[in-house]
Amino acid sequence: MRFSDQFRTGWRNLSRQKLRTTLTIFAIVIGAVSVTVMLSLVTSAKSFLVSSAQKTGMDKRVIVTGSTGLDYRESTWNWPDGSGKRIDKDTLEAVTKLPHVASATLYSQVQMIRSFVLESTNQELEFKNLSFEAYTPNGTIKHLLVAGEELSEKTNGTGILVTTGVANDLGFKGRESELVGQKLVLKFRTDMGPPDARKADETAVITGVVMGENGDGLSVDLEWAVRMNTMEWTQKGPNGQTETMKESQIDRYGYSSVWVSLDDKKNADALMAEVAKLGYGAAAGQEEIDTQATVFTIIGAVLGGIGGIALLVAAIGVINTMVMATLERTREIGIMRAIGATKRTVRRLFRVEAGVLGFMGGLFGVAISFGVAIGLNQLLNKQLEDSGITDRDIVSISPVIALVVLLITTLIGMLAGSLPARRAANMDPVEALRYE
Amino acid sequence: MAFVQCSGLRKTYTVGDEEVRALDNVSITVEKGDFIAICGPSGSGKSTLANVIGGLDQPDEGSVLVDGVDLAKARDKELSEYRNSRIGFVFQSFNLQAHETALENVISPLVIGGVGKKKERRERGMKALERVGLSDRAGHKPTQLSGGQRQRVAIARALVNDPQMIIADEPTGNLDSSRGADVIAELRRLNSEGITLIIITHDPNVAAQAKRVVEIKDGKITERTGAR
Repeated sequence: MRFSDQFRTGWRNLSRQKLRTTLTIFAIVIGAVSVTVMLSLVTSAKSFLVSSAQKTGMDKRVIVTGSTGLDYRESTWNWPDGSGKRIDKDTLEAVTKLPHVASATLYSQVQMIRSFVLESTNQELEFKNLSFEAYTPNGTIKHLLVAGEELSEKTNGTGILVTTGVANDLGFKGRESELVGQKLVLKFRTDMGPPDARKADETAVITGVVMGENGDGLSVDLEWAVRMNTMEWTQKGPNGQTETMKESQIDRYGYSSVWVSLDDKKNADALMAEVAKLGYGAAAGQEEIDTQATVFTIIGAVLGGIGGIALLVAAIGVINTMVMATLERTREIGIMRAIGATKRTVRRLFRVEAGVLGFMGGLFGVAISFGVAIGLNQLLNKQLEDSGITDRDIVSISPVIALVVLLITTLIGMLAGSLPARRAANMDPVEALRYE
Repeated sequence: MAFVQCSGLRKTYTVGDEEVRALDNVSITVEKGDFIAICGPSGSGKSTLANVIGGLDQPDEGSVLVDGVDLAKARDKELSEYRNSRIGFVFQSFNLQAHETALENVISPLVIGGVGKKKERRERGMKALERVGLSDRAGHKPTQLSGGQRQRVAIARALVNDPQMIIADEPTGNLDSSRGADVIAELRRLNSEGITLIIITHDPNVAAQAKRVVEIKDGKITERTGAR
């Protein structure tokens, strides 16, 4: 019997029991939608992560620290406390000379900030659980811009970047662009130096609103940050005269790290080896991306597994349907055998029929999944817009996933149909013909 | 050489705790163009003999030689091909597929055998229906046909592959005498065209029309009578 005839016969047999066929297909559709949507969500999230990382240059980034053995995340938060190797301008010079370095900057945190006030609203926010990063805006460090511009040479001494979280706290959620150009007054701590140490307020102008890569906070030019990190106090000199003392935290402990942008991300290991020779620690942004991607892969496997269970249940439905069909069609099977159908033909006929169930379930499932993706994107686009992210339609169902799901549901159908098919094929034709 | 040569056929069924000898050392030959009636009471083993000759069943012992091939030892594929292309079955209860039209039923051996394309199948199916005088009922479902018409559709199905032999198991059992006579006349006509015919029957009127009558009882051939 030709495959086209088997397919036609199978299709016809399925149409004879419309309700049962529809319900069986429906179960497969549920499984197919679960698998397709869940896998697509994870792969979409993964590719969003990777593309975002590429935009900020994280994939080409290496962070050089005074302490060895830190991972990327620890390196971003590394705080110089005198225990590791000192990071200073000499370090930057040495690192910049290394091969594969496209650009580099010293990086530090401004430690002395206490709070900041948005001048227009007079709203004051405590500086808690926030980062205040400082770097030379030479293109090494880039952000996902929501509004305004990155820091540049001309904004040195005035410009500041705020993250969307800060913008949110300041009441500018969804209106981030309105923050650009507004003044932010920075207030400093007085508890870090001698009792009368003081630090005058600084006024900054918001240059841009960005997505926080390492949590929320503020960013300024490094040169300005060094000035901000300098405390002033007075003390009596040996002759009783009053002396004004100045001390920069950075002068004392050095910078946090050197951030490097590679010429190519594949050279991360080579550069890290060179850095290690200099006695510094190094961590690559790509490692962090890989770690996060692995997390998504695991989540994908778990969610896909849940969808897989739905498919398994659907497969049991197929078995049930096909067993019913073999019982109902016992006499038909007998007739087919009498007019020359081999056991193999009968087996294949039922298997093809079960495969058609699986294929139809997969086809509808994939089609519905595309609809679900459109719906999810509409929801997410609103969220993305609110968060100031320019990306849209991030949930996409790849043709590969669609095809694989279609193939899997068809195979599951055929596999589930195997047992009933064998049962049908092994019926004694004489007995089958007598079946009432 | 005989078309079919059966020798020493034995077949035992187990029904509950009891063993039933359906065939007990049965030997029979069928010549090309023969018309044999196999008669006997219910449970005598006549249907089993027909099924064994038709390749639908295999004996426990003995041989069924068809053109030198032993059906008793043949594999499923060979047996199926034999049933599909060399013989045709006609059953008491017609055994038509209820969801198919007369034409679809008739061409089903061609579909199963993978013979020809749609057009060729249709032509051969219509030709077979014409032979039994039912070409005007091609699009009818079995439920829309009378018993006699259904049996003629079944004969057309048996004919569609130009078989060498037709095995009819109580072909008139579900028909009134006049329609039964029509069906037998139809089968006789086919026999006169050269098709070997084996009819299983317990109707003496049907048996009387055969060239040879084989009586079977308790799985044993008890009597053979010659040509009418």
